[in-house]
Amino acid sequence: MSKGILGRMSNREKRFNIGVTVALGLLSLFFLLPIYLTAVFATRTLNEVFQFPPPLWFGNNIVQNYANIANVFPPFRPILNSLAVALPKTAGLVLVSSLAGYGLSRYTRAPGHKTLLVVTFATLFFPPSLALIPFFLQMNAIGWLNTFWPLIVPAVASGFGVVWMYTYIGSTVPRELYEAAEMDGAGGIAAFFFVVVPIIRPGLAALAVWTLISTWNDFQLPLVVLGDGTKFTVPLALTTLSTTHYSDMPAVMLATLMGLVPVFVLFALLSRQFIAGLTSGSVK
Amino acid sequence: MVETASRTPASQWRRNSAFYISVLPFFTIFLAFSVFPVVFSFYLGFSRWDGFGSPVFVGLQNYVRALHDPVFQKAVANTIYLWFWSTLLTISLALVLSVAINEYVAAGKTYFRMVFLVPLLVAPAIAAVVLRLFFSANGGLVNLLTGAVTGTPSYFDWLGSEAWIKPLVVLLVIWRWTGWYIIIFLAGLQSISRDIYEAARMDGVGRWAILSRITLPLLMPSIAFAVITATLGGLQMFDEPFVLTQGLGGTNNSATTVGMYLYATAFTQLNFGLGSAVSWYIFAAVVVLTLAYRTLMRRTNAGEGA
Repeated sequence: MSKGILGRMSNREKRFNIGVTVALGLLSLFFLLPIYLTAVFATRTLNEVFQFPPPLWFGNNIVQNYANIANVFPPFRPILNSLAVALPKTAGLVLVSSLAGYGLSRYTRAPGHKTLLVVTFATLFFPPSLALIPFFLQMNAIGWLNTFWPLIVPAVASGFGVVWMYTYIGSTVPRELYEAAEMDGAGGIAAFFFVVVPIIRPGLAALAVWTLISTWNDFQLPLVVLGDGTKFTVPLALTTLSTTHYSDMPAVMLATLMGLVPVFVLFALLSRQFIAGLTSGSVK
Repeated sequence: MVETASRTPASQWRRNSAFYISVLPFFTIFLAFSVFPVVFSFYLGFSRWDGFGSPVFVGLQNYVRALHDPVFQKAVANTIYLWFWSTLLTISLALVLSVAINEYVAAGKTYFRMVFLVPLLVAPAIAAVVLRLFFSANGGLVNLLTGAVTGTPSYFDWLGSEAWIKPLVVLLVIWRWTGWYIIIFLAGLQSISRDIYEAARMDGVGRWAILSRITLPLLMPSIAFAVITATLGGLQMFDEPFVLTQGLGGTNNSATTVGMYLYATAFTQLNFGLGSAVSWYIFAAVVVLTLAYRTLMRRTNAGEGA
């Protein structure tokens, strides 16, 4: 394929394209270097990482580094905490968003439809920092501080998710299908579960991956609502570890690596859905 | 004729109730946990409150006080600096890379499409931990490198330096976000019809002219979307500077952003009124910039159509 493209070009164009490819290749290595070094340093001893030139290949100190983190906190605890937040939030967000997206996409003639649609789009321009302080006070008032609830329940209502599902359902589910379903006795909410959901499965997967990864990386909201270190999610636990135990750099790097593995695995498995999620907002 | 048959009042009512049931969970939660807090925040902005007792109405005091606070002024200047440079550099780099990937790369297109996206998987908080690997004063790779080159060991405190902290935050943003904009631009580039390029090439239009006269103008909607998103994020920037400065804002608040100022006033000084006032300044800035940008875009588009 690429040979075919090169075949039609002049020598000058070919040389230019090869030059561009090499330059981009080098730049891409530069983008990966920090992550690669994190992995390498996670397997090295303290002395080795402070040498010059620094080690560029894996060592054999990973067990000791793991023991060093285990002295500070159970190494898998932040990962389990992050899962305890991300999984229920994602399930709820996907359900609530697709249901609302379905209603907004199907019942365009219901009274109040237009207003609700406009409000949904307007929420995209709501800066989250506007609600941060009163949200904290609200969580305090209902006794949810220092629990995972504030990170799960309110987060289930995502304007982004609804807009995405509204657009997705509108473009993938043919309207005649609703009439056919009605004749078969599946109207309203039943039609959503038995007719729409099977069709929009790829869209649901894309929204789920996107939600999982962005929730995994959330920092400010967990920082505000979680006070107790045993409840810390991955980014919070790592930030704390790196400020208090930075002198043991290989251990910090190993903890960092462990926190990265779940999202990297998810990305490797579902990168196509993830990218679909990124572009959905821009195509309007 | 199913349409007319089902237009009886009873079926109409069934349809409407199905609509309200489907949107009910979203709007209930949204009302309870987003609309209500924002309305409360509007009230808080005009009050003095430390979370105990009841709020005292103080009029515009919080808004005025923020404007006179030198730390807030510095935070505004820092935020503008970080927003401007990170938006400009990230989007320019992404534009160059996506055009290169789409048009010029000779091999490995799929690899290039994916690889720049990998840093986005790394949480800003974690990315900051990794960045310290390079820039910490004691044993950071950059200091090790300069030490080895010059022959004298270097202990320069990059993250404590007033001059360097902001460029390092920008570097972190570029590293994480370039891949995201590449994906946006590649989607935009692929929606441009190949026929236009073929026609231009047949007419003997050069590569550079094709890029500046065809590709860039047609990519304008994607660029506009990218700038608006970068602006919404940039004005509220918090994670990157917070973690790089260990939550302190750097030497002499050299990297304190408005978002960090809001956090500090509310959650370390427990001045919820002042913090709320600051959040409304952020909101105003977001609205003004988004509207300004939209008007600008509409005008350029109209100009082109004429």
